[in-house]
Amino acid sequence: MKKIVIPVLMAAGILAMTSCKKDPVKNLEGDEGQIYITKHADSVSFSSFKTFSIADSVAVIQNNKLLGKELSASDAAYIQAVKDQLTQRGYTLVNKNQNPDLGITVSQIYNTSTGVFDYGSYWDPYYGSYWGPDYWGYGGYGYSFPSYYYGTYSITEGAMSIDIFDLKDAKESNKISGIWNGLLRGSGVFSVSAANTGVKALFDQSSYFKAS
Amino acid sequence: MKTQFRTAMLLITSLFFLALIPFNSKAQEKRLQLDLNYAVGIPGNSFKNDAIEKTSTRGWTANLLYNITPNISVGVGTGFQDFYQKYPRAVYKLNEGGEVSAVVTNSIQTVPILAQFQYRLLPGKTVQPYVGVGVGGNMIIYDQYLGEFENSKSSFKFAARPEVGLFVPFRKEGPAGIHLFGAYNYMPYKMNGVENLNNWGAGVGIKFPIGS
Repeated sequence: MKKIVIPVLMAAGILAMTSCKKDPVKNLEGDEGQIYITKHADSVSFSSFKTFSIADSVAVIQNNKLLGKELSASDAAYIQAVKDQLTQRGYTLVNKNQNPDLGITVSQIYNTSTGVFDYGSYWDPYYGSYWGPDYWGYGGYGYSFPSYYYGTYSITEGAMSIDIFDLKDAKESNKISGIWNGLLRGSGVFSVSAANTGVKALFDQSSYFKAS
Repeated sequence: MKTQFRTAMLLITSLFFLALIPFNSKAQEKRLQLDLNYAVGIPGNSFKNDAIEKTSTRGWTANLLYNITPNISVGVGTGFQDFYQKYPRAVYKLNEGGEVSAVVTNSIQTVPILAQFQYRLLPGKTVQPYVGVGVGGNMIIYDQYLGEFENSKSSFKFAARPEVGLFVPFRKEGPAGIHLFGAYNYMPYKMNGVENLNNWGAGVGIKFPIGS
């Protein structure tokens, strides 16, 4: 009997250890959880623009509503990183009063979704796992709970968004067309380090975005 | 916590089976036998090229077989294999236009449930080779992560598992012993550019009778 106990226990232990799924999120390190998404207008020639201006603060938007504008350390880092990347690609930073070809805004965008957990009628004597009304000396009675006894949750997901608009052709087309958007999502995007690495990645993957 | 619970359950289950083992009986008698095995999975061509290259070391198989004759057993088999691979950050084209820079992680779990047939070549010998085949269904969970963002797809597909193996009893003609096997897991699956999840499997474990 003893001969088989050890192999069986060893086998059970090995099975227990190896049946675990490797968790992809727990195995992400540093900025690996972040994703950088770019979209642009195909019909636009980015070399036709020479100058740009960028808004001096960051808009904070929650569920499509503007909460205000701010300039935290990470906000300032994002603005500076965009300036650096466009300058390196041959564009010239000008004041917004100097008719820039491109107008740029940076925004913090938050979307909150809410929901309800329904734990079921765990208090119902029918399920037999709770204190019955007779515990209080009221046998035969039933419990009654108001609706707010449900559990609620809300999940907020945030992203940094960089929008670039065509101001050069605004008068002719009678509209301000968005021609490029960069979006940074994932844990830690609201930080100075994410601003530097993320914004560089956005423009590196937009090889068409250069003045000449 | 989950792992602790799983370990405890496996140990309890193992001890329960131990209590039922008739150690004086012979392997080839008509009876139910269970084998529990640690298993590895080595992705085949399409699986390796399109989703995951790395060998999975997180898996197990289990077969419950009834000896119809000294040579032939039939029963059911199941298992679990977790395939995982994280790819370095790269830029991918989006179907809807644009680009995304992300660390992509592919995480695939397969859980086959098979009708099993085994033919023992040398019943009663010190080393008993066998050939077998399992045919049935396969629960597949395919999680593809872009950074920390998950896209999960589950499906149930056909599966077949031809295999060869060895049973080495602890004592001559004994019903319990060491079990080794090699198998080809045929797993058709078309999704995310993957043609199939065919993989080579190998494992080692123990085999023992259930009941008297």
